[in-house]
Amino acid sequence: MNANRANHIREGNKAVTALIYILAVLIGLVTLYPMYYVLILSLSEPTAAATMQVYTVPKGFSLDSYILLFKDSNMWRAYLNTLMYEVPTTLLMLLTCVLAAFPLTYKRLPGRKLVTMFLLVPMYFSGGMIPSFLLITKLGLYNSPWSQILPVCFSIWNIILVKSFFSSISETLREAAKIDGANVYQTLIKIYLPMAKPILAVISVYTIVGVWNSWFNALVYLPQEKWQPLQLYLRRILVESKQNITAVLDPAAAQEMVKRQLSNAQLKYAMIIFTTLPILTVYPFFQRYFVKGMMLGSLKE
Amino acid sequence: MNVQSARTDTGMKKGQKREGKKQNMETFQIYSLLLPVLILIFIFCYIPLYGIIIAFQDYTPGSAFIGESVKWVGLKHFETFVTGEFFGRLIQNTLTLSGLNLLFGFTVPIFFALLLDQVRANKLKKLIQTSSYMPYFISTVVVAGMAISFIDTNGIVTNFLTLFGLSAKNYRVEPGAFPVVYTITNVWKNFGFGSILYFSTISSIDPGLYESAKLDGANRFRQALHITLPAIQNIVAINLIMAIGGILNTNSELILLLYTQATYEVADVIGTYTYRLGILGGQYSLTTAAGLFMSVIGFTLTFIANRVSNKLTGYGLW
Repeated sequence: MNANRANHIREGNKAVTALIYILAVLIGLVTLYPMYYVLILSLSEPTAAATMQVYTVPKGFSLDSYILLFKDSNMWRAYLNTLMYEVPTTLLMLLTCVLAAFPLTYKRLPGRKLVTMFLLVPMYFSGGMIPSFLLITKLGLYNSPWSQILPVCFSIWNIILVKSFFSSISETLREAAKIDGANVYQTLIKIYLPMAKPILAVISVYTIVGVWNSWFNALVYLPQEKWQPLQLYLRRILVESKQNITAVLDPAAAQEMVKRQLSNAQLKYAMIIFTTLPILTVYPFFQRYFVKGMMLGSLKE
Repeated sequence: MNVQSARTDTGMKKGQKREGKKQNMETFQIYSLLLPVLILIFIFCYIPLYGIIIAFQDYTPGSAFIGESVKWVGLKHFETFVTGEFFGRLIQNTLTLSGLNLLFGFTVPIFFALLLDQVRANKLKKLIQTSSYMPYFISTVVVAGMAISFIDTNGIVTNFLTLFGLSAKNYRVEPGAFPVVYTITNVWKNFGFGSILYFSTISSIDPGLYESAKLDGANRFRQALHITLPAIQNIVAINLIMAIGGILNTNSELILLLYTQATYEVADVIGTYTYRLGILGGQYSLTTAAGLFMSVIGFTLTFIANRVSNKLTGYGLW
């Protein structure tokens, strides 16, 4: 399609064309530069980073802030916590999506309308922050890692995505399996599941990115640092500017301390890079799936 | 396939009883798959929905929602909220921040898609498009952290502003700067992703349409106005309904990260208010009432917007 479009030239004023290109490139720069800027700040000499007088390439070169960051056991703990939430949440999300979506493809299922209603209501109405918080407390999930997994391990929106994907699989295939003596479980595992890979990839990507970036639930449900995910650790340092990382390190000579403090100021840039890196390196591959999911969602409308 | 279905038909007639039993078995199996998810949804979606009932009570932590000990207070908390000192400020901030977001967050993706559509160099186009999605994948905490660092006294944005004669100070604690910082950050994070649907719709327009428009002497601007815009108008309509319906839902996660005590006055919205007074302050009933009040208005707005859109464009959410 794109190759087609390139051939048809829409004539216009040369100056306007130039303006359009300049504007487009400018927008591209605006989206990319902040992250690049943080990267060069994190790699510069601590003194240069502290005054923020770095604009195009790193001033000097220093990995001090990264070394400091890697020595921080709290950071690793938080990193580990995030991974600990990623794996079960993603697996459960896939499971719940398949379990709920597959039955909805049986058009003659008794009570199907009721089930659909049951799924639709929470898409429009939610209890809100306080009732959810009270529920978590009553379930004993407050201050428990499960509070980061159970409430977010299913998504009605995703269920609907998977369901519409399943619906595109021909029903005659299912009928044929039934005649061959396959029960419901076998039909799901042998026929639907192998075909569902593309949509499950989309759901996984959405979930992984979502869990990686989420922080608010942890802020509300996890008062203790030992369970808090990476994003809350970041929040303490980036937003609340609580840089007590030196306290963990051995006391050193005065000169060393000054250097450390400068590195501390730089620490947040190293931290942004280090924690965003996993997402940024895979995002060019991910974004394809995001776009796909978006398209699937719009088809529903 | 025809042969197969014919065979099932005769099978049904022969042994209807056995078939019925089989059907029951199938229904049972299907529900056994469905049940775990239904239970999860019941617990995490329906119980909180039911928990809204505490908006009409003097709820104390640990007590039940229903029973002898419940103190029903009717609309007391709604009255307290509406007549309280924060109400005016919340409404005003919400409308200001979402108004700005509606103005830019809604329009920028459309303009961006139209603009990039004019770029003929395909590699450059793809590159800009892909990079425009990037901010969407960066976490809100990081985005807010970067914004806070950039608008600090010696931050890059502050430095840039001093070129235009503005003073170098920490703009995070400037109440006047907050709506601007919030809007730019929000738009920066979401505009690329918001334009995906526009891109794909525009790329599916028949090139022949442009050809014939060109033959008729339509210039670039007219082509965009008469071909491209009508093609995306349905998506524009749906996005507009959602934006209007969501006018009371500001991005409170971002606000919570960006605001400071110095900017509460212009930054406080229902989400941040509920977090401070409810979660931190323990005023559960009052903040639930406040949340319910805002949701009801929000839902009414969506409903009206949808009705209007259905009338005008024939397209709506439901």
